[in-house]
Amino acid sequence: MNSPRKKHLTLKILLILVSIDLLETLAQFCFKKSALSFSNFQINSFLDVLNFIKTIIPSGYLWLGLIFVVLIFITWSTVLSRIDLSVAVPVCSFSYITIPLVSMIFFHESISWVRWMGIFLIIIGVILVSMSSVRRKECP
Amino acid sequence: MKLGIFYIIGLVLLTDICDTISQLFLKSSINSIDLHINTFKKALELVIRLAKIPVVWLGFVFSGISLCIWLFVLTRADLNFAYSVDSMRYILITLASMTILKEKIGTIRWFGIIAVVSGIMLVVLG
Repeated sequence: MNSPRKKHLTLKILLILVSIDLLETLAQFCFKKSALSFSNFQINSFLDVLNFIKTIIPSGYLWLGLIFVVLIFITWSTVLSRIDLSVAVPVCSFSYITIPLVSMIFFHESISWVRWMGIFLIIIGVILVSMSSVRRKECP
Repeated sequence: MKLGIFYIIGLVLLTDICDTISQLFLKSSINSIDLHINTFKKALELVIRLAKIPVVWLGFVFSGISLCIWLFVLTRADLNFAYSVDSMRYILITLASMTILKEKIGTIRWFGIIAVVSGIMLVVLG
């Protein structure tokens, strides 16, 4: 007999999901860095996109970013083996918070009060979704 | 060249549909493997077993298509607007999880997802 599989969110899985968001932010940071070093490149057509990708292939940041993407896939698959897709996806929206923060700190972009409100709403939403997946105490 | 608003919404929704399909393929494959992961080695084992499932690769193809459409949209549309429409992916994934993967979604989870979607809209439009 198989023991019933745990399908609820635990603190460990929540921490793994947050680390996916952090990895995602690191990956985006690397991609932005590699793209910025070629910012004089003009993109007007689909062919330009391919040429642009060819140009940035030697960039170390691009490869570092791709390593993060592979790590994300391994971690994401692990998480999906434990919890519902409809929980994993919304909880992973932390990157909508971390990416503006990183943009603010490293690329000196500003965050308006509307954005701060959005960040607040996302946090509330993530808490609600997480709550919906936490195992409740079984009543006797 | 700027594209019409409905054209942009349509293309962004198309990327979301492709991503949803890709996630559904991945999740259903993982469900079929049914491996209990407690070490990094086990996680690698899962990824290797996933790599042998054709549907997972089909999912990658859908992700690739989605990325291409998305890059095309980004060159032709207002970034913030495109990103705000893109937040609809959360609704699509939830509906797909509910109908296809038979996940049970209660009121609290729906409220949470709606809060996340509205939050994202504020972040990208604000």
